[in-house]
Amino acid sequence: MTGAPEPRMTGEQESPMAAANQLSTQALDLRYGDRLVVSGLDLTLPGGAVTAIVGPNACGKSTLLRGLSRLLAPAAGSVTLDGADIHRMPARALALRMGLLPQQPVTPEAITVEALVRLGRYPHQRLLSPWSATDQKAVDEALGRTGTAVLRDHPVDQLSGGQRQRAWIALALAQDTELLLLDEPTTFLDLRHQLDVLDLVAALHAEAGRTVVMVLHDLGQAARYADHMVVLKDGRLAAAGTPADILDADLVRSVFDVDCRVIPDPETGTPLVIPKGSAMRHSAASA
Amino acid sequence: MTSVVRKGATSRARLRRRVLAFTATGAAALFVLLTVSLTTGEMSIPATTALRALVGLGDPGDVLVVQQFRAPRSVAAIVAGAGLGAAGCVLQRLFRNPLASPDVMGVTGGASLGAVALIAAGASQTLIPLGALGGGLLAALLLGVFAWRSGLAVTRLVLTGLAVQAGLAAAVNLMIVRFPAELAGSALQWTTGSVYGRTWPEVWGAAGAMVLALTAALVLHRRLAVLDLGDDSAGALGLNTSTARLQLMVIAVVLASLAAALAGPVTFVALAVPHIVRFVTGPPTAASLALASLTGAVLLLASDLVVQHLLPIEGLPVGAVTATLGAPWLLVLMFRQSSPVQRSHA
Repeated sequence: MTGAPEPRMTGEQESPMAAANQLSTQALDLRYGDRLVVSGLDLTLPGGAVTAIVGPNACGKSTLLRGLSRLLAPAAGSVTLDGADIHRMPARALALRMGLLPQQPVTPEAITVEALVRLGRYPHQRLLSPWSATDQKAVDEALGRTGTAVLRDHPVDQLSGGQRQRAWIALALAQDTELLLLDEPTTFLDLRHQLDVLDLVAALHAEAGRTVVMVLHDLGQAARYADHMVVLKDGRLAAAGTPADILDADLVRSVFDVDCRVIPDPETGTPLVIPKGSAMRHSAASA
Repeated sequence: MTSVVRKGATSRARLRRRVLAFTATGAAALFVLLTVSLTTGEMSIPATTALRALVGLGDPGDVLVVQQFRAPRSVAAIVAGAGLGAAGCVLQRLFRNPLASPDVMGVTGGASLGAVALIAAGASQTLIPLGALGGGLLAALLLGVFAWRSGLAVTRLVLTGLAVQAGLAAAVNLMIVRFPAELAGSALQWTTGSVYGRTWPEVWGAAGAMVLALTAALVLHRRLAVLDLGDDSAGALGLNTSTARLQLMVIAVVLASLAAALAGPVTFVALAVPHIVRFVTGPPTAASLALASLTGAVLLLASDLVVQHLLPIEGLPVGAVTATLGAPWLLVLMFRQSSPVQRSHA
């Protein structure tokens, strides 16, 4: 185990003018009870980009996402969205700008896909306002974009993992926010469905201009799909910047304790992490 | 995929028909039961005469019997049943626990203790419902104070609620054991549940408050639905989860306490009714919350009729019968629900 590496900051810093939907943290500490999970984090997540947050298990990725989305109040420091402290914003005002897909969302018993997605309209509705045409349009669009329109009357708890994840993303889309936070959206999915979800995210960014911040496990996928990458270790920032600039063998060794080579992805040219062979594994010599 | 689509569309239409059919059946059952309750008793009155007497027409003797003796008791059963059904519905969703009922909020224990304490203090009969109401509300408040520090977290609330309930039940038992024999009967009636001897002022007071609480529950139904998504998703949708849970809990407690004020701590209605409604109409909606009220009213009124007229035992509490009537109903529905055909989808 090596100590926490010095954070390396590379890549262009977004100017405040260009940065709508830009989340930042200032000396952020997040705790659960006595346990300090994230400490002293100074971070800028560029607006209009796809950011991947990566790091080893229990490094504070999900906790950071909860802090960024106002679900966990900072023990110290602050989180700002385009300069405004999100913990001083009314919950509903923030919910109109930022949606969140938790890591393991709770599916209400027997709820249908459409009923689930309709709940995404909650921040847009007043106490007694009836269901509006705008609400229905947003729901239909979210269902269409996620390919869940044909499943709209199907109970969510009877869907496959990939379908269920798309239904939940549809809920976040119906919320109609510029900024979308996704906590490990590909976990528990097979490769086909992982790619489906990530392609959907890429399309949301490319076509609808959404700012996306997602926690991912797979470094290769993060490098492929993210414009900006944040690497955490032990609740501290290990590196931040474009994947091409920051993802190298030294970083992977110091953060994940894995010896590897980093080569250009043959398909995309983005960094691809290849762990080094060991005597215990298949090696080229024995093949 | 097409089969999925078609299945979805037909199941939605089928569900809507079932909701309508269930509502119509419930309303008809309520009307028939109410008519029966007004016509039967020591003096039999024909149905049309009884209904005319209810609005003050016809023989003054009939009017007296129907308006002053039979109607208040029946309406009390309807109002209390409606409150219990809705309270159970709200609590089971808030706690994400199919066994939640006013018991776990300490309401039934508090209502018993409030009523028994007033009986012990020698208060007049008219004050006892207020004692039950106050006791139920106070017990829930006590629970809220205990559980507030954890942000009203669900598991903490359930455990604290069970502890509060157990403590209150013990206190009630202790008081009854020490009662003189002539008060013990009255106390026992109040701790097992009965709508016997309700008067109009009590019934109208409770009914008015009940309508307000039910309206509030329906108005806040959207918050209840968002809370179903879990605290993180609900919070991300802009819901202040602690506040929303507190509001809904207060509503459920008020509903259950009002029911307890009219009928004492009637068991089983709040527990079983949400399940009965869910088996018939599917996932919970605002409509199913209203249907839970209707079903609760039917169940309690029917139980009270059984207590009054069908059983040879004098003075049996209605609570004993709600369980006897409701349990087989619930078992039949559960049996049908878990048949192999249905299970294959689960």
